[in-house]
Amino acid sequence: MGIDAYEVGVETDMGSGLPGVNIVGLPDMAIKESKDRIRAAIKNSGFSFPSKKITINLAPADIRKEGAWLDLPIALSILCSEGLIEPSAVTDMVFCGELSLDGKLKPMKGVLPIAMSIRTMGKNKLLLPHENSKEAATVNDISVYGLNSLKETVDFLNRKIEISPREPIEYYEFKKNVRHRMDFSDVKGQEHVKRGLEVAASGGHNVLLIGPPGSGKSMLAKRLVTVLSEMTLTESLETSKIHSVAGLISPNKCLITARPFRSPHHTISYAALVGGGTNPAPGEISLAHNGVLFLDELPEFKRDALEVLRQPLEEGRITISRISDTLTYPCKFMLVAAMNPCPCGYFTDPKRQCRCTPFQIQRYLSKISGPLLDRIDIHIEVPRLNLETITEKRRGESSESIRKRVDSARAIQKDRYKNDGILFNAHLESKELERYCLFDKESEELLKLAILELGISARAYDKILRISRTIADLEGSATIEAHHVSEAISYRSLDRNLWG
Amino acid sequence: MSRENILTGAIGEEMAANFLKRIGYRIIERNFRTKFGEIDIVAKIGAVFVFVEVKTRLSSSLGPPLLSVTKRKEEKIIKNALIYLNRHNQDDAYWRIDIVSVKLNNDSGTDSIELIENAVCDA
Repeated sequence: MGIDAYEVGVETDMGSGLPGVNIVGLPDMAIKESKDRIRAAIKNSGFSFPSKKITINLAPADIRKEGAWLDLPIALSILCSEGLIEPSAVTDMVFCGELSLDGKLKPMKGVLPIAMSIRTMGKNKLLLPHENSKEAATVNDISVYGLNSLKETVDFLNRKIEISPREPIEYYEFKKNVRHRMDFSDVKGQEHVKRGLEVAASGGHNVLLIGPPGSGKSMLAKRLVTVLSEMTLTESLETSKIHSVAGLISPNKCLITARPFRSPHHTISYAALVGGGTNPAPGEISLAHNGVLFLDELPEFKRDALEVLRQPLEEGRITISRISDTLTYPCKFMLVAAMNPCPCGYFTDPKRQCRCTPFQIQRYLSKISGPLLDRIDIHIEVPRLNLETITEKRRGESSESIRKRVDSARAIQKDRYKNDGILFNAHLESKELERYCLFDKESEELLKLAILELGISARAYDKILRISRTIADLEGSATIEAHHVSEAISYRSLDRNLWG
Repeated sequence: MSRENILTGAIGEEMAANFLKRIGYRIIERNFRTKFGEIDIVAKIGAVFVFVEVKTRLSSSLGPPLLSVTKRKEEKIIKNALIYLNRHNQDDAYWRIDIVSVKLNNDSGTDSIELIENAVCDA
């Protein structure tokens, strides 16, 4: 349910009466239809389908069950009551899988959460379709058996054939396959933006990139994942669980080891963004869990789609309530947004004339509400590249070396906040800001000057403190110095009232 | 119902009963009648009661015999079956409904009999 599995007990009674199958225990349509699949699968596996009045109960009776993955347990339960399988053979086992009419097992989605909860159910063996066995084998403390057909399952349970459990797959085996196709060295110039993204990655700050069309906003954003530190096992499992539930895990990829980068199109509905549906499915923000959510052309997104982001950005999880369920999905993601400075796109471009009226620009910018903007710490202007930079042969710094700096900055933060329950500078609240952001004399003067001269608000002040903290961490400096502060101020271009 | 049709039915039922005996059914009663209708043959295999509906056709111009067993007819058979079991104190017995379709052929003299086991199912 959601991203956590629950145990369903399948009971079968054979009674007298007109032959037929009746399934009770709040089944959905896929399960009601399963009786026809199961009848065919049992017959075509060489067993006879009992001509008795069969009642199947799915316990607990008050939870709505959905999906065809109960086919295999129901079929086995029927065969068990017919005495074709020894009941003692199935204790301490958990089954799942969809049957096809010829008795073959078909792959299903959401295997990982099931595998992860086997232990807590007090069982230790999981039998499931062969295609899913690799995904399940990433959970190391259970035995996973991959099966091809109903017949094979029955023979295995009756000890007619021997099937060895799948070798557990260690996490590091996946990890060594992590390769990024992209690298920051692909991007020419834009050193200021790259530095800004480095700061964002280190402190977990959300970023807004502003620039004319073709300046490389999307290109830069896509490469942000390559400088984020590698996923830990816990992070990988969390993210994989969500992807597993959404059915996005391919048979040979099993665990998500590279941080996800999701970039939904701006026509996306709010439900697709945060999750929804009759039986709520995870949305883009949850699929971006532990990774990056990239919203290109931010002002083009529907207003309601943007507004629903507020609470998840704050809390790192989203609770979706629908008539059937109320579910919570985790969604700790870094938001990277990109936008043009005005509707025509060329407002900040030195070469091309902007054709927008001040009113048009005002309206364009006002599509992004204050509260949302409030949750984005870093705003960077991405300027158009000049000819020399584009044709330059020299490659930029590689993602690898940037990541090393990000890793060490994150390590400093992790150590500092180990008792505060937060991970990054971006999550600092004002009370903690006071404690952790220590300034030297010079930087204090600079801050005062900035407030006076640039008209920086109290809210922006907090943000500058957070960013300065991250920049200082990148340098390994305990106190915040003047040049940290001045760099931080440069990441607040929207505060400096360039527009409107 | 014409005399001819009744005759056809009787011939078909006779043939069906012989056929069932040949393949191991124990015929217990023929034409069990209540006010709800009639069951053509009541038989037993082992401990299972089998209620058999026989459909006979002279030609296939009206479609296969099986198709003429309608939902209404099925319900009648189910009701009758329950009454039969109740009268014989066999309420807890296993039972099922089979259909035998008989095709009579006047010209070539080759008749075909087909048995559909467990033809009526609950849902």
